[in-house]
Amino acid sequence: MEMGMDDKNVLLIPKIENGIVIDHIPAGLGPKLLELLLRYPRLRSVALTLGVNYRSTRMGTKDMIKLGTRELPADAQAQISIVAPGVTVKTITDYRVGEKLVLSLPDRMIGLVKCRNPNCITNAERSVETRFTLDGSAESSIGRGKGRAEYRCAHCERVFALAELERILP
Amino acid sequence: MKKDLISIDDLDVAQVNGYLDLAERVAAMPDRGKAALLPGKVLMVMFFEPSTRTRLSFEAAMCRLGGAAIGFTDTQSTSVKKGESFQDTIHTVEQYADVLVIRHPQEGAARLAADISRLPVINAGDGSNQHPTQTLLDLYTIKQFLGRLDGIRIALAGDLKYSRTVHSLFSALRMFPGIEFTLVSPESLRLPAYILNAEAMVSGRSMVSGGTMASGGAKAGGETKESGGRKVTESTDIHEAIRTCDIVYMTRIQKERFPDVVEYEKVKDSYCIRASMLAEAPEHMKILHPLPRVNEIAPDVDGTRFAGYFEQVANGLTVRQAILLDALGVRI
Repeated sequence: MEMGMDDKNVLLIPKIENGIVIDHIPAGLGPKLLELLLRYPRLRSVALTLGVNYRSTRMGTKDMIKLGTRELPADAQAQISIVAPGVTVKTITDYRVGEKLVLSLPDRMIGLVKCRNPNCITNAERSVETRFTLDGSAESSIGRGKGRAEYRCAHCERVFALAELERILP
Repeated sequence: MKKDLISIDDLDVAQVNGYLDLAERVAAMPDRGKAALLPGKVLMVMFFEPSTRTRLSFEAAMCRLGGAAIGFTDTQSTSVKKGESFQDTIHTVEQYADVLVIRHPQEGAARLAADISRLPVINAGDGSNQHPTQTLLDLYTIKQFLGRLDGIRIALAGDLKYSRTVHSLFSALRMFPGIEFTLVSPESLRLPAYILNAEAMVSGRSMVSGGTMASGGAKAGGETKESGGRKVTESTDIHEAIRTCDIVYMTRIQKERFPDVVEYEKVKDSYCIRASMLAEAPEHMKILHPLPRVNEIAPDVDGTRFAGYFEQVANGLTVRQAILLDALGVRI
């Protein structure tokens, strides 16, 4: 039986009273985002629900995550934006949707990914925060597909595809 | 706000021209006047890699401006040998000087130094990334010879992959309109795509046909792409470049940059310009080289009117004086 948001015979993802909904996750990326979120100690004790392969008029199918907290660690949001640019983060208060924020590819990434150049000083020196700048516009990068988005290392000035860059996670 | 000089890509054309104009004013000053410009100022020379020209010209530049130069030319006599981090080294030496000049084998080292130091930092070469002071003296030299930078035809030849001087010079020349580039190299040493395509100048690689690459080898022309008023041709044929270009900029195949010595051995003697090859060169053509040279320019070229590389060396002193003055906020 096909799962749907409005299927009367199916237990739906419960609504949350206060928290965050991460919506419009491309189908298949939900588990990856969940794994990412659970790297943050603060989120490990939070009520959290993952829904996968929901029907979406916009996307065909989508994943969704609901969290019982309204506070995402700042760099968690940044990491989400590079794993799944285009997701919507909705803040829920008293069961009502408040602020909605569409996460786009960041223009800059600070301390989020490692440089792939083994001869970059950031790989030789301890506690040097990497800095990367989007090469081109976020819109054109999303149009090309997330994997084709390219970022320039501020230190060695080399350019890498986002998909090549290893994320720095807690 | 301090004035670092880390990368040519940090500068716009006005800033580049500013350095060149300042160098011209420095060149026009009498020596006595220059010696009064930086009294009591100290340059910290931090060379983690060998150098002759860059280091000595910076030291001479500082001394001739009335300042002093201290520092190190290899890490064996420093606490780096004991494992001290680069960052701790910067925080230490900045207590003793007014300006830092750094050459380091790793890309991004000068940028990191600029980030963490309160002093102005000048990049004297970071790995295979940038060499902005060399580029400024190259531009100054080209302008001296040709009277302009717009619309010149320049061949960049040799090791285009690992040569930081080429990377910086290519980036800088792109700022000027009407430049025609001929990139001459073995196929394995082509200019990296991330530099070539930085402005989406070339859509897809241009193509180079076969033929040998030695100096007497068969012609191997390339396809020319055009973008933004600049033409870029990739080729393996140095003879054609000599015949058609205003400037032929030669570089050494750098053994120390190759991760694999076997690959180096395959390409190390790819090009050698000899005086006998210059019969059809345009009269105004100049051969430049950042030096040191190995085999790529034969000594019999030195006495010809085409040899411009020793003027480059002399210009290095003037341009680096300008860079030091700018870094220390001294106006002339």
